[in-house]
Amino acid sequence: MQTSERNNPETAAETADVPLQLSNIKALVEKINVEGLGRTKDDLVIKTIKELFEAKDFQQVVLKSQEVRTKLEKLGCFKTVGVFIDTSKGEDATSSGLEITFTVKELKRVLGGINTLVGNNEGSLVIGSNLPNTFGRGEKLQVEYTYGTKQSKGFNGMFVKPLHNKANSILTSSFYQQNSEWASSGYHLCEQGISLDASFDSVPLLRHSVQWEGVWRELSCHSRTTTFPVREQAGHSLKSALRHVIHYDNRDSAVFSNRGTLFRMVQELAGLGGDVGFVKHELTYQLNVPITNDVVLQGSFQGGFMKRLNDEKMIYICDRFFLGGPHTIRGFEQRGIGPQSDNQALGAQTYWAAGLHLFTPLPFKPGHGGLGDILRTHFFVNAGNIDNFNFGNNIKESARILTDRYRLSYGMGLMLRLGTVARIELNYCVPLKCQRGDRTHHGVQVAVGVQFL
Amino acid sequence: MDNRKKNILSRNKIHTQMSEAGAYTVTTLEPWPSDVKLYQPYEVEQILLQDQANSLAVQVFLRMCGLEFQVEMRSNAEHMSPSGKLPFIKCGAFVVADLDPIVSFIANKGINLTDHLDAAQKADMRAYMSLANNILGNAELYISWCDENVLNEVTCPRYGSVYSWPLNTLLTWRKQKQVTKKLTALGWITKTLDEVYEDVDHCCNALSERLGNHLYFFNDRCTELDAVVFGHVFTLLTTPLPDNRLASIVRSYPNLVEACQFLEKAFFQKPTAKTTDDDGDNFN
Repeated sequence: MQTSERNNPETAAETADVPLQLSNIKALVEKINVEGLGRTKDDLVIKTIKELFEAKDFQQVVLKSQEVRTKLEKLGCFKTVGVFIDTSKGEDATSSGLEITFTVKELKRVLGGINTLVGNNEGSLVIGSNLPNTFGRGEKLQVEYTYGTKQSKGFNGMFVKPLHNKANSILTSSFYQQNSEWASSGYHLCEQGISLDASFDSVPLLRHSVQWEGVWRELSCHSRTTTFPVREQAGHSLKSALRHVIHYDNRDSAVFSNRGTLFRMVQELAGLGGDVGFVKHELTYQLNVPITNDVVLQGSFQGGFMKRLNDEKMIYICDRFFLGGPHTIRGFEQRGIGPQSDNQALGAQTYWAAGLHLFTPLPFKPGHGGLGDILRTHFFVNAGNIDNFNFGNNIKESARILTDRYRLSYGMGLMLRLGTVARIELNYCVPLKCQRGDRTHHGVQVAVGVQFL
Repeated sequence: MDNRKKNILSRNKIHTQMSEAGAYTVTTLEPWPSDVKLYQPYEVEQILLQDQANSLAVQVFLRMCGLEFQVEMRSNAEHMSPSGKLPFIKCGAFVVADLDPIVSFIANKGINLTDHLDAAQKADMRAYMSLANNILGNAELYISWCDENVLNEVTCPRYGSVYSWPLNTLLTWRKQKQVTKKLTALGWITKTLDEVYEDVDHCCNALSERLGNHLYFFNDRCTELDAVVFGHVFTLLTTPLPDNRLASIVRSYPNLVEACQFLEKAFFQKPTAKTTDDDGDNFN
């Protein structure tokens, strides 16, 4: 019996003789049964369902049992959860006594799957297997192997341990190997590392992650034509870094959001052992404002700054910031802005990028209610700058340096939503302001990805 | 075999690179830039026998040709090199690794040391070069990576010196596996230390006979062979190892040692090297 349609009590009725006023029906939960438990530990289930005993009337019982049901589903132990409310029977039963039965079906011990994944301009095949609810308290042990279209192969293993407390704390430890190819910078990177992560909510929606990561990176030249400044950085390096991530997202959806804010700040300190040392700050901000029913104005800003820790520790090319390309400043080639050598991007230590987008449905709304809903047109203006700036002493001077020689592009295009997180963009871009050495891309640019400026 | 194939391959690549630049003829006439650099690992704390020998060979070869260059030491030289071989030179936009490709790269600029040789002598020189490189080079690899004593006391601390823990052990282990694989393919892994010493002795004997009582192998003028032998002999004589039998074997051929000392004086103890002809004449 699932009574979600009765969740909202009729607030208008105040007299006691209205028979359907659920909050006036005294009820006492006398017994809760959970059927179908196997390896899930009792203490976890008891902790989750305990609050049901506090319900004093029938309305509360119904609402709370729904809440508990959602909580049970979120534990990561069960595939399905059903609720059944009945009057309590037996010798000790009182007239207002209720008995609630949860029928759960546990997840299988081993799950496996093959998925395809779309990352930033790259598709990949993921073969994975996981052991859900490994030790009976919602833990997860997972291994994955990824095979990407750009020779990016990798694997990772992860152990996730939720603490089931108020702050939604989750502990994660993982190891991974990842290969990536950066033709636009002339290098190939193989990373192998371990990481520990503790994440929790400080206030609702504001998620913190504290991470430690130890990575062994092997940077090799992409080809014989790799430019010498990149070649000089080839070889092995070891990074040990502490990171703090703050994430706030109240948008109504990750793609084509109508309203809401995304805020993300990453602070990283590398150099606790290893030969890589820097302090790095990065910030992402996105604001969506609905203008009319389906016309949305989006403003976004990204910025990053990093500094070498000391003379003994190094910053490598794979640590630096890059800018340009269909995911950041459109109208430029991938990593096409900023310091270059032989048309290969070297990266820099400071950057900012900003974008103003106007999203509208297709003109005349063809395919409304169907295909038309996953399509949008957008008009955009992107601007940004990246370099190894030497900042002045005062804020005014620094601001002038940052905005001097900035890049600007505008254009319009068509976007297609893929699932709930990714999108395809087909844009016509016009770079308006560029600097010597930049690789511009005037014309049609296509991008698939998850993160866009 | 594998080695030689790779050399040929990399040489071909240089040619194509040059012709791709669309300026093959121009390149050949292009003068030697003044900012040419030779990259090698750190000499004092890092470099190993074979790399040291090869680096010295290339250095003395460039000096024989009268070409200016600077030695740059980098802890990651091995990974910077396009073929993984050491040393390598950076000449303008070109990066060329290993002696043979460097010799042909320079020959394309119209500079070589073998004009005074006839065809038979050239073939002879090639044969002796490959003898020296194969026997002495592999012996150096073998001693460095397969002799427990040298491995633990010299090779491991040196190879890992530029990395922080745990990369130092990990990368040394990985390199050891690589070298072992190579020596297995060449059939050297099954040799005992004594057999290796014997091979070195044979090789030195052959070289010593060819040299006779001259200071250069051919026509009393320098060739690549002199550079190669100098690299190996000088390295074996001057590198301290727990067991100095290699040095004593080499020392038992005084004419090799003498030629080596002569080349060192001629090319490394002068502020700038003169052209080949001058040196040859000086000697005469």
